[in-house]
Amino acid sequence: MSAKVLLIDDDSDFRAAVKSLLESHGYNVLEAASGHEGLQMVAAHKPDAIFLDIMMETTVEGYGVTYALKFRDDFAAFRDIPIFMVSSIQESPDARFPMSAEVEMIRPDRYLTKPLDIPEVLRLLDEAVGASKGVPA
Amino acid sequence: MSEPVAPETVVVIDDDYAMRLSCTKILTKMGLHSQTFEDGARGLEGVATAKPGLVVVDLKMPGISGMEVVSRVHEIDPQIVIVVITGYATIDTAVQAMKCGAYDFLPKPFSPDELRLIVNRGLERRRLALESQQHEIEQTMLKRRFVTFVSHQLRTPLVAVHQYLDVLKSLDQSSEVQAKRQEWTDRCLKRVEELQDLIADWLTLARVEGGTLTKERIKVDLSRIIPDILKTYEQTAAAEGVSLQSHLPESGLCVAGDRNCLSVLFDNLITNGIKYNQPGGTLTVSGSPSDGEIVIAVADTGVGIPEKYRPYLFDEFFRVKDEGAKKTPGTGLGLHICKRIVSEMGGTISVDSLAGAGSTFWVRLPAWHEPESPGGSPTDAGPKTNTDCG
Repeated sequence: MSAKVLLIDDDSDFRAAVKSLLESHGYNVLEAASGHEGLQMVAAHKPDAIFLDIMMETTVEGYGVTYALKFRDDFAAFRDIPIFMVSSIQESPDARFPMSAEVEMIRPDRYLTKPLDIPEVLRLLDEAVGASKGVPA
Repeated sequence: MSEPVAPETVVVIDDDYAMRLSCTKILTKMGLHSQTFEDGARGLEGVATAKPGLVVVDLKMPGISGMEVVSRVHEIDPQIVIVVITGYATIDTAVQAMKCGAYDFLPKPFSPDELRLIVNRGLERRRLALESQQHEIEQTMLKRRFVTFVSHQLRTPLVAVHQYLDVLKSLDQSSEVQAKRQEWTDRCLKRVEELQDLIADWLTLARVEGGTLTKERIKVDLSRIIPDILKTYEQTAAAEGVSLQSHLPESGLCVAGDRNCLSVLFDNLITNGIKYNQPGGTLTVSGSPSDGEIVIAVADTGVGIPEKYRPYLFDEFFRVKDEGAKKTPGTGLGLHICKRIVSEMGGTISVDSLAGAGSTFWVRLPAWHEPESPGGSPTDAGPKTNTDCG
């Protein structure tokens, strides 16, 4: 069974491009256009890895998703899913919320900058999914 | 209701016991919290832990000099206000202390009133300084957020295009690529157009804000320029199934402004009225003079604007987030530009909207007044009768 990757991003074009890329490398790709939809998809499909846009227009921003997945009890079963946070601006929570104790609560596993560097993404994904599932994609 | 504020702390550093005692008495009576120290070294320690708003320090003390205390207090916190106490005939030292950063001085002997006055003034000054510092921080944050937001808006379409091209290139060997190529090229073109629109709108906004577009004030008759704009949108409207209607007088809707600016204004309102309409709907532009103003209404029969969004409608980058509206491309700057143009011209813009029935945008601009001809009789005609200016 191929590994499931969830793309949470409000830009449908960005999702379409990344979806094609990942599918051509044998991944099963799920899409969500908002943080809210993303969390529903996580609960319903339990993906093996998540690509998460930080700045989305919709109600649950990127950081809200990270927080829910890492700390909310109702998402405890999904705590170990690797999260790749993606943004067109180099922006870590450390820079956005300087000196804030909450930074630890929203830190994802990895930051990536858009447009994604294809070889890097494929390598990271292979490592992450291989590590979590014990089987290479 | 504001939170109860802890009393401000004042530290008094003086080797004279009687002085410390009387200062404490006066300060406590003023509702302040006072702490006293008998020499500079202890005083500085006290300042570091008590974080006072104001320090009263005697310049002539054994051990660390008062002058040194003054400069070291400001190493701890430059916002602490320092008042120095000087003995007779040491005005020079007081001046020197003020050069080192002391706020004011009290020559000995001084009355309780003098101390009260100077402490109150000092604390007031500190409050103002802290407030303006806070204001400055807020301004910087606001600016930084704006820059972040704008660069995000500019980068998003570019990123999508870039990612499509990257993936297309990496897929090149596979058979899927032929199918994707056409579709993705179209999408790339759309996103490039989006970026161009955004840049164009942003430039317009910059020109309006910089005043270059609104500086010129010539007589422009809106009953002439609006029909021209409507004409350019006939095809677009027909394609969307929207019919265009105009209820404008032949002439007489004259305002003082720049033709380009006014075109941008009504162009934006008319485009919105078409974009956010529904098939079979109408867009109606009507206008009339009223009480020295020219009132133009641009009415659509679209889905309307939910009340909760209306206060933000003219804010920059604001877009209605409901599903229907989200699919319509837009920069989020159009109405903000309209508002800037209208207010630069001394007018107002507002919106009426009924859910499910459409929205009407009202533009009110000051009517054109003929300059009084030199030596001629003053124009006695009120604005109501002075309708024909063409």
